[in-house]
Amino acid sequence: MRAQYQQAIEQHRQRVFSFARYSLRANEDAEDVTQEVFIKLWQHWQKIDHSKLGGWLMRVAHNAVIDHVRKQRPMQANIDHYAEVEEQVGSSSEETMLDQENFKQQLQLAIKSLADPFRSIIVMRDVQGLSYAEIRDVLDISESQVKVYLHRGRRKLRDNADLRRLFETQFGRGSRKPNLVDVSAQQAANDKGSNHVK
Amino acid sequence: MSNNIESQCYVVQLQIDGYIDGDLSQSQQELFMSHVHSCEACAQEFHYAQVVQDTVLELPQLDCNDQVLEPVHRLLKDGDTKINTSSQSILSQIKALVSDIPAFIRYGVPVALSVALAVFISSSLPDADGVNSLSQDQVALEVNEQYSPEEVFQALQDLNLAIDYLNQMSQRTEVMIGNRFLVTPLQDSINASFQRTRGDTTVQNDPI
Repeated sequence: MRAQYQQAIEQHRQRVFSFARYSLRANEDAEDVTQEVFIKLWQHWQKIDHSKLGGWLMRVAHNAVIDHVRKQRPMQANIDHYAEVEEQVGSSSEETMLDQENFKQQLQLAIKSLADPFRSIIVMRDVQGLSYAEIRDVLDISESQVKVYLHRGRRKLRDNADLRRLFETQFGRGSRKPNLVDVSAQQAANDKGSNHVK
Repeated sequence: MSNNIESQCYVVQLQIDGYIDGDLSQSQQELFMSHVHSCEACAQEFHYAQVVQDTVLELPQLDCNDQVLEPVHRLLKDGDTKINTSSQSILSQIKALVSDIPAFIRYGVPVALSVALAVFISSSLPDADGVNSLSQDQVALEVNEQYSPEEVFQALQDLNLAIDYLNQMSQRTEVMIGNRFLVTPLQDSINASFQRTRGDTTVQNDPI
């Protein structure tokens, strides 16, 4: 039992921590969530269905993240957010070329600022590569609802003012034509992207 | 004309995620791309969506330090026996304890205790005439020694008054709850449906 438990930790720790880290602002909170999840796993070891262990862990992680988001003090959260953005704006003004890293950091902030379930679904689907069926089981909603929330969440993400501003300063609105490809090539790329699993 | 283009832009921008996920049909994809090729605003929006999506897909899986899981491993190491014993059922622990006791004690003590209990109960039961060992006359006598008959009568009257008062309060509470939660909402609901069927448009706060 002990060996199985340790094996389960090794197998799922990355997925649980990643989910928490991309959902919460503070690294310490993500670490707390990871600890909580694996302690609960030990406490409920005999009761859970081990064939669905991954889904169970993600559900517990999702609930723990929601609890942490509720506990976050709004003032403190805003201060952290502005501090991070300021740091990035300062560094981006020094760069003249496209700073992919800056954009990535801003994107992570934008994801964290989304409300649930948009945030959780984007992290689980686009960052972690979970299937619609797995997300459905974690959140206990239908697959079509998962798709609707995913598309709405992506639109909300793109509506993030800081992210859009950063994109426009780096690409310049209208100054650079997008690299449009023909439909069949795009479809091939889509197939690769939609099956993306990390 | 411009309204038509705007509505096309609106539809195309709603389809961006469907296109990225490969959820559009062949004809929808062709319409989508032909519009994106001809509309700079939609092309820009599509490009932005692609960049955001590609960047999200490139985000790495993160892992925590081993130190983070140290308390979990410590719990496993320190609390191993504790957790194992607590996970055993209490019944099985009791069985294990009982099986260690010699047979004559294991069966003899419950039998002796049962006999003692039976003797105790039989001594406190009423006798054949239905009279307890402490007779009713004795009880009355003891009461009479402490309180006069007038005092006892007065106490009984007070008790009756208190019981009446509590009964009235209980009835009133039942009526209030009934009005508040059952009767009034039901009446409102019936009135609202009645007014609606008559086509009365002045219904306010329709509960349905």
